[in-house]
Amino acid sequence: MIEYFLLLLGESIMVFGTLGILRFPDVYTRLHAATKCDTGGAMTILIALAIASEAPLLIKLKFLVLAFLIALINPMVSHAIARGAYKYGIKPEVVVDMYAWDNP
Amino acid sequence: MVEENLLVNPFGWAAIILVATSLILSYRVLFGPTLADRIVGINTVTTKTVVILAIFGFIAKEYFFLDLAIVLLMVNAVGGLILAKYMEGAK
Repeated sequence: MIEYFLLLLGESIMVFGTLGILRFPDVYTRLHAATKCDTGGAMTILIALAIASEAPLLIKLKFLVLAFLIALINPMVSHAIARGAYKYGIKPEVVVDMYAWDNP
Repeated sequence: MVEENLLVNPFGWAAIILVATSLILSYRVLFGPTLADRIVGINTVTTKTVVILAIFGFIAKEYFFLDLAIVLLMVNAVGGLILAKYMEGAK
């Protein structure tokens, strides 16, 4: 039962991450949507597969190793892409002005 | 044989949704305004492909697909780092 709940959660995270990558205005905001939503969605679906699988323990452990490697690798690549994009010359378009939010 | 059909298993429906979102994301890869947008799209599509390979290995009970998924994930890591270093140097 819990594996289907985890599967639904991961699929919704994946779909909203895709919407974020399509609709956000800038490289850095798109990268935010990509790395958060994709890492969380993939790890949740892989944990659901490891729970639902009827394989022996070593193969279940292989699903968990895949989830651990995604958690290790995906933020590292996203950080490198953000650093490379800033040195490539892309300036962020979105500026957050917290003082203007509090004092309109 | 019924168990291996994609449309009776909820995990099969998950794989179909992942393929559909990857096809939608190929718009960002093809028509992205800058180079970094295309690299973000490629990275996301490859991560979705890793999950699709794991789901196929689970449904068909052929567990060598998991080794293929691990190798594809490591190729994704090395390729992303090399593209990021190229983007730092190119101006």
